[in-house]
Amino acid sequence: MYYRLVVYFSSTKSAGLFRWLINGLKIEAVDPITGKICCDVFISYERLHKFFKPRGLGAVLECRYCVPEVLQKPTAIFEGLCQNEDEPRNRGCGWRCYCGIPSHDYSEDGTALQPRKNKVFLVFVTEELVAYNWRWEKCCPDKPELPINYQTRFRDQKL
Amino acid sequence: MNTLSNEEFAKEIMKLANETPSHGPIAYYDQDGDCIEFLSTPGNFYAERIDDLITVYYDEKTDEIIGSLVKDVSQFIKKNPRFAILVESGRVRLAHLFIAGLGSQTQEPNDIVIQTYKKLLEQAEETSVEAGFAVIN
Repeated sequence: MYYRLVVYFSSTKSAGLFRWLINGLKIEAVDPITGKICCDVFISYERLHKFFKPRGLGAVLECRYCVPEVLQKPTAIFEGLCQNEDEPRNRGCGWRCYCGIPSHDYSEDGTALQPRKNKVFLVFVTEELVAYNWRWEKCCPDKPELPINYQTRFRDQKL
Repeated sequence: MNTLSNEEFAKEIMKLANETPSHGPIAYYDQDGDCIEFLSTPGNFYAERIDDLITVYYDEKTDEIIGSLVKDVSQFIKKNPRFAILVESGRVRLAHLFIAGLGSQTQEPNDIVIQTYKKLLEQAEETSVEAGFAVIN
């Protein structure tokens, strides 16, 4: 297990606010500006422990394979998860959503399956590059490599 | 901290797979995402966002509602300070949060949204789930 101390110096956060220690695993991801695998993303170990482990092997394998695959071979990267115009500007604006179709899905008992039909896999990453959520969602009927309503739910498509 | 290779990452993740999965409801507050995730029945699901607060989790096989992600929880309470009464000793009951979410809608929700909230509310009440919670400034 790894630990990191997250320190906010971003203008969108209280400057110099020291956050709590976060358990995390750090893996590589595509940088939306360069399009190359050159940025690191922390996977929330807390989510793995509290949410995925109780769901069994399939959920664990989903994280093991699908999350890195989508972070490293995304079909799209969106930035700005704000939907409401009145949503505070310091929440969600720099957050990213990595989108992709992994090679496999996994059944609850861990059996490798074909990727889900008409679905895409999304990994949500905070401004501090913590992947705090990943899941399957319905795809856009016209662009099956992108999530449904991608035109309205994100601010920018970076990649 | 070093960045893990995919193989090292896989090894770390697989350490989690050694324990038997539980079958009860799960709810937890994620401070990074400022969100509460809730699953009444652990299983494979897909997600669909229904409004600014709630993303619903549907069972992959049956399309039944089996959980939700409540987004921006602390922001929601900051925007609606009266709902601070929902938080007691750092914990929030999910059923109460669903009622508050529905009650705070600025536009009249459609029938599908109302029925979805109703179903989530029933599940949260049946399982009496609550999540530890901290307001993020």
